[in-house]
Amino acid sequence: MEFLGAVFAWFTDPASWSGRNTIPLRLWEQVSLSAVSLALAVAIALPLGLYIGHTDRGSRLVVAIANIGRAVPSLGWLGIALPITLVLFQRGGLGFLPACIALVALGIPPIVTNTYAGLREVSRDLLDAGRGMGMAELQLLRRVEVPIALPVIMAGVRSSAVTIVATATLAAVVGGGTLGDFILQGLFVNDQPRIFGAAVLVALLALATEMVFGYLQRRVVSPGLGTG
Amino acid sequence: MRTRRTLALGAVLLALVISACTPGGGSTTPSASPAAQKPEVTVGSAGFDESAVVAEIYAQALEAHGYTVKRQLEIGERPDVQAALTSGRVNLVPEYLGGLASYLKADVSSDAKATFDAMQVKLAAEDLIAFDYSPGTDADGWAVRKETADQLNLKAMSDVAKVADQLVWGLAPGCPTNPVCGPGLKSTYGIDISKLQVESLSPCSTEMAQALNNSAIDVAQVCTTQPDIQTFNFVLLEDDKALQPAQNLAPVARKDLADAAPADFAETLNAVSAKLTTDELTKLNVEVSVNQTSFANAASQWLKDQGLI
Repeated sequence: MEFLGAVFAWFTDPASWSGRNTIPLRLWEQVSLSAVSLALAVAIALPLGLYIGHTDRGSRLVVAIANIGRAVPSLGWLGIALPITLVLFQRGGLGFLPACIALVALGIPPIVTNTYAGLREVSRDLLDAGRGMGMAELQLLRRVEVPIALPVIMAGVRSSAVTIVATATLAAVVGGGTLGDFILQGLFVNDQPRIFGAAVLVALLALATEMVFGYLQRRVVSPGLGTG
Repeated sequence: MRTRRTLALGAVLLALVISACTPGGGSTTPSASPAAQKPEVTVGSAGFDESAVVAEIYAQALEAHGYTVKRQLEIGERPDVQAALTSGRVNLVPEYLGGLASYLKADVSSDAKATFDAMQVKLAAEDLIAFDYSPGTDADGWAVRKETADQLNLKAMSDVAKVADQLVWGLAPGCPTNPVCGPGLKSTYGIDISKLQVESLSPCSTEMAQALNNSAIDVAQVCTTQPDIQTFNFVLLEDDKALQPAQNLAPVARKDLADAAPADFAETLNAVSAKLTTDELTKLNVEVSVNQTSFANAASQWLKDQGLI
């Protein structure tokens, strides 16, 4: 109880709400970093997944690379990105940039593999029917494949989003602030309530992301598919 | 053919077993008697490279004086090491003055002698004893690039205080509330970190060192024996107004071991401590953490270089 009181005291401490090291600031750092990273990951992974899913060309290679990418730990991505951004941008190479690169690398694989899998699952009969009706390949992709595969694609985006939001915490290691900064602060000044409080905020943020994307996933399903 | 070979192998093994058993059991051989008067030592260490390599140095120095030494390196964090020591699982470990003193709730200051004395009193209550501490210290410190030091003529923290606002500082998250960081810098050196350009990075980390080396920051919060200081040729600024608590290394032993051992036990350990300067500790860290030399090889090479074995 005493511990929870200390956590509550941290949440309500005026120092947590004004100055250079506030909860809203750290929360904003985490959310904006995650949003930009997810947008970039989608922008790269979605076209790639659609291409290999529709044509089945190079799919083995791309999926293999994506799966290797999944095997690299998130701290590993930071360790790869930081030396490069530092050499290129000095002070600008700290914080947002290396963290963003690492998160994009982390966010791409689930979107690529899900988009590919979703498209490949579309019945060949439907594609043949579409072609028989005189649909161009792009039309086929847009009107037949994507709507049918959308729940699977969105599941990929959702898992990518949750991973990114939770992992953005690590940006603190490269000077990116975020809620992870509170965790490091707590480690260095031995303040357990601060660590716990920040961890709770990260968990809540990840849950909120999960719920928002879960809602989106249900909304985008074509009524004709009638899943769920 | 096969049977004969098996027989031969069996005979060799038997001979080995017999020869291995007799001297120990008989204890009549002259070479065994001096070792028998010396108590058996089990050296432990905390779970990081510096502690382990120093423990290995204690071990090899004692072995050179005829002690039988077992090793239990990299036990874990300080509470684990202390538990191993008080339970007798190990009876000798390297420790840090400030770290151990504050763990034992003794008074900690930048004065190594005072911190050592305060720690010794608390150790006695646990039937433990510390031997001489090293001149070298592994404390929090501040480093700059060589060219910054040359350009602005920086040697100590008092020098950097005068130009603090021209530089970008890499500070630990939590520095503003840590007494020996933000508030200490202000009261001791007049450096007000709330007025500086600051990047928040883990102290003593590779990221901090890389940021300094690539000019993303100009002053980095480091550990004084961090290998990066040597690898990147950073200049470690002297803590000339003594802000940081003393973190010199000292061997801590169980009282029963210290009492049972002849005088050369303390002499051997004290001779090692005397040679462990901050520079030497940094070099040892480079050996084991960067060059990946084994603890045993790094320790024996160092002892030879110092003329201790």
